[in-house]
Amino acid sequence: MCKVDKIIDETPDIRTYRLKMNDPVRMKSFTWMPGQFVEFSLLGHGECTFCISSSSTRQGYFDCSVKRAGIVTADIQNQLEEGMDVGIRGPYGNWFPVDDIKGKNLLFVGGGIGLAPIRSLIQYCIDNRKDYKDFTILYGARTSSDMCYKEEIEEWKKNPSLKVILTIDKPEETWKENVGVVPKVLEEVVKPTIENTKVITCGPPIMIKYTLVSLDKLGFDPKDVITTLEMKMQCGLGKCGRCNIGSTYVCKDGPVFTYEQMKRMPDEF
Amino acid sequence: MNVFIVETDKTGLQKFYKEIIGKFETYAPVEKFGKYDYKKVSKLDECDPDSPIEMTMSVKPLFFPKTAKVMKFREDNTGTTVSETDEDPLTGQRVILGVKHCDARGLQVLDQVYKWDYIDTDYQKRRENTLIISTRCDKAGTQCFCTSLDYDVENSDAHDIRIVNGLDGKIYIQAVTQKGEGFVKENLSQQSAVGSQQSLEEIKKHYQLFEASFRLKMNYSEVNAKLQKLFDSLEFETVSSNCISCNTCAFICPTCHCFKITDEKIKDTGVRYKSYDSCNNGYFTLMAGGHNPRPVKYRRWRQRALHKFVYYKERFGMNLCVGCGHCAISCPVNISIFDVVNQVAKI
Repeated sequence: MCKVDKIIDETPDIRTYRLKMNDPVRMKSFTWMPGQFVEFSLLGHGECTFCISSSSTRQGYFDCSVKRAGIVTADIQNQLEEGMDVGIRGPYGNWFPVDDIKGKNLLFVGGGIGLAPIRSLIQYCIDNRKDYKDFTILYGARTSSDMCYKEEIEEWKKNPSLKVILTIDKPEETWKENVGVVPKVLEEVVKPTIENTKVITCGPPIMIKYTLVSLDKLGFDPKDVITTLEMKMQCGLGKCGRCNIGSTYVCKDGPVFTYEQMKRMPDEF
Repeated sequence: MNVFIVETDKTGLQKFYKEIIGKFETYAPVEKFGKYDYKKVSKLDECDPDSPIEMTMSVKPLFFPKTAKVMKFREDNTGTTVSETDEDPLTGQRVILGVKHCDARGLQVLDQVYKWDYIDTDYQKRRENTLIISTRCDKAGTQCFCTSLDYDVENSDAHDIRIVNGLDGKIYIQAVTQKGEGFVKENLSQQSAVGSQQSLEEIKKHYQLFEASFRLKMNYSEVNAKLQKLFDSLEFETVSSNCISCNTCAFICPTCHCFKITDEKIKDTGVRYKSYDSCNNGYFTLMAGGHNPRPVKYRRWRQRALHKFVYYKERFGMNLCVGCGHCAISCPVNISIFDVVNQVAKI
């Protein structure tokens, strides 16, 4: 059981819940890797799968960002208040290959709520800054108010060792950054170097799809493109069969896959 | 394979059954409206261990219940407390009579998914504390095709003991596992005639006649090889067009194991349940926000057929379909998995 320590309004429909375990000893021993997920229960309403959006290098709490999308997520946003109890199982799944990407340039490409799993990795990499080379973060959202982690992004922008590029889909009066969808900005503004670079991407399915096309066009090796897949999950234990894509269990073998692995799976998306 | 065989006759077998029913918690096929279901029995007259293959349900629910409580929770001023359910999965030894070979194989296949990674202790406990006595069918049912698949029906070791109605009028009780052998020695009072080479021959003869009675036959390795390359086949649309997504096939299937988790809360207390679900259900993969990778029937049928005949084999080394034909018998619109895979593979 965990207590909600703090609720942060990110956007009109996304809230981040900062959670602490009721048992401080267990909280101390609770570790996870960026990219892993937990099963989050609002008891009596149901259970949902959320990635942990903070890094275990920042101890004492963990964050789950929840976008109002279905029944349980709506119940969570309507009824969950600071100080209330939630049930947490986990962490489950695999994680971003933090060791493989050591010594590489990192390009993070996120869209909407898809920044959540990447944020965990970004925090992890910032806290182990010396292990990695250049950082580029490309983040897109539909409108400026749909951007999550606004305060943290401001901090990232102030950090001289990070390059942050923001974009929104349609122009707005007060907006001074880029305008256009993520794949377009990726090709026209970011123009990433291919050599010694790993790309980590997550976002809505349609964004992932076209981002992968753009990365292909730019000449990236599918092995160097890492993403986390979204699939309906329930048990998180490789039993309930919901997250099967071919013979793969997304909840056990994933959710982190390289583009190369995805190419070998049946084309269900 | 163990060759501990006891020869007996009809009365001897009935006596054996009666003794088991008297001593253990026993389940056996019970008839209702011409179809059979494995139920708890207290008298031999209630059940028919020799029942034909027309089942309303496989043996699966005795190990993986239709609905099971996962946990309880209670809210009060201090917060929420979670506790285990008071349900005991199984007390003491249990015996199931008259299990079909296909149903028993179904359990063997299910074991694979339950023992990888996280181990489902309730399932494991039920498996360990259950002894399975199967009766070999004398004749194949209209939708049966167990002999066409990737397992050896004749020498199957999915059950502990098997009963064969010999063509010579004798009944052979063969212990297949060590557990079965111990059980026969302990519980069969008249073990006078211990079987010899002769009885093995008789059992083989019975199998040959049984094998010859099959209407449906397929070349499994060819179907499996072809289906691996047919993910994009348009044929899935044709074969699934009649489906009404009622999920009956999955619920009755001895090997379908997908489930869903739901909470029920009344005032301050609640229970979390785990219950059957099916990939044929349109909501199965519907994600919050409306994205659904399998919004149409043919995609769901493709998942069903390929999961059974390709993916599971790839992952766990066993075919997920055991050829029992339960699904085809129960389907309201007469879809048979046998026809589906054969039509898609064009054999």
